[in-house]
Amino acid sequence: MTPLLALSDPLTPVALAHFLITSGGLFVIGLVGFLTRRNMIVMFLCTELMFQAAALAMIAFGAYHLDPSGQVFVIFILTVAAAEAALALGLVVFLYRRRETLSAEAWSELHE
Amino acid sequence: MSTTMLYTICVLGAVGLYLLVRPSRGRTNRERGLTAAGVLLGLGAFAGLLVAAAERVGPPETRPELFFTIFSLIALAAAVRMITHSRPVYSALYFVLVVLASAGLFLLLQAEFMAFALIIVYAGAILITYMFVLMLAQQAPTADDDRGQPEYDLNPREPAAGVIVGFIVLALLSRMALDGTAALDPPPTPVEARQAAWSELEQLPGRVLEHAGSDMRLDAGLPAVEVEPAADGLTAVVRGGGLAEPVTLDTDALPENVQSVGLALVSRFPVSLELAGVILLMAMFGAVILARRQIELTEDETREAAGMRRLGHHDDPAPAGGGPDA
Repeated sequence: MTPLLALSDPLTPVALAHFLITSGGLFVIGLVGFLTRRNMIVMFLCTELMFQAAALAMIAFGAYHLDPSGQVFVIFILTVAAAEAALALGLVVFLYRRRETLSAEAWSELHE
Repeated sequence: MSTTMLYTICVLGAVGLYLLVRPSRGRTNRERGLTAAGVLLGLGAFAGLLVAAAERVGPPETRPELFFTIFSLIALAAAVRMITHSRPVYSALYFVLVVLASAGLFLLLQAEFMAFALIIVYAGAILITYMFVLMLAQQAPTADDDRGQPEYDLNPREPAAGVIVGFIVLALLSRMALDGTAALDPPPTPVEARQAAWSELEQLPGRVLEHAGSDMRLDAGLPAVEVEPAADGLTAVVRGGGLAEPVTLDTDALPENVQSVGLALVSRFPVSLELAGVILLMAMFGAVILARRQIELTEDETREAAGMRRLGHHDDPAPAGGGPDA
């Protein structure tokens, strides 16, 4: 296996910019999905997509600077994403039991 | 390439994404044509941004790597399909495809550990949780087409406004990414990279001694080793650590990806690691409390469940253990 820190071909600034553009594209698609979808579960999936984009940007910067901290941050992103998934899905199950629908608009007014 | 050109490319991408996100009205040829136009515009915007990156940042003739292009296109296409598909289960499956493609991108960036951790944690754990909740909360669709789908899955909310907001963000992000990477310090040369890796190896005496052929017992505590790399960084001389004489190591002894990440995790971010554990524990408590069935108990039932006597019925015999069934 090639060691991380002995890159035969280090990342060039252009390659870094390419990875950042992919990451920005994924983030924006996730954002548009979060704004336009009305199903609560798909909205939370879109937040996971945005996490994914941030992780890609961090790994790309880490590879450019040859610093493993980027990957360590991604471990923390995974942690936060897992915690968010557990809480959000618990919340969705709770809300679904109350109204029998997954539509986010069923909850546009918080008072009962 | 001017900034106006960059923004124009983003606008093209916005129009393409709008054509894909907007609700479909039947399966006519016109709808198919508009969808195809959306796909083409999106592809054109992606290619335009890559060209803009090459022109602004580096030598203009730089082409993106083949595997980078393949994985990026898969990731972006699956992401678009994920936010446009009317069935949430398929959205989740397309998200798995996004995760697999980003794991491929991580492999290109030599982050092997994170690539496989991503597949295991995301595709293996988080997505399965999503699938369970989807199947718990889904009304069973009846036919293969869009009939029987709930209305909120078929019609997006304000697609035009959402796409405009998204692409303003993309225009700013791509401009910052291009101007920022153009202004970055040059990346370390291979020699500098190897020198840094050798100095990191000093913190991993176990690995040094293993590669130096020492038969030292590691449970007896690790003595400090001294690693002195050669000028080209291809070899290094190791002293100390109970070695009788200095040993020369080659680049095979350099730490691998997993070892670098593990060392950084426990030596540079130990408190964050503990905090991550606390976050996971709190999330578990929260999920258990949110997802348990809510039951309304009267005051008498609460007292009964707590094993106390009812109010106002002093002659009743005490209930024989156990609360009301949830």
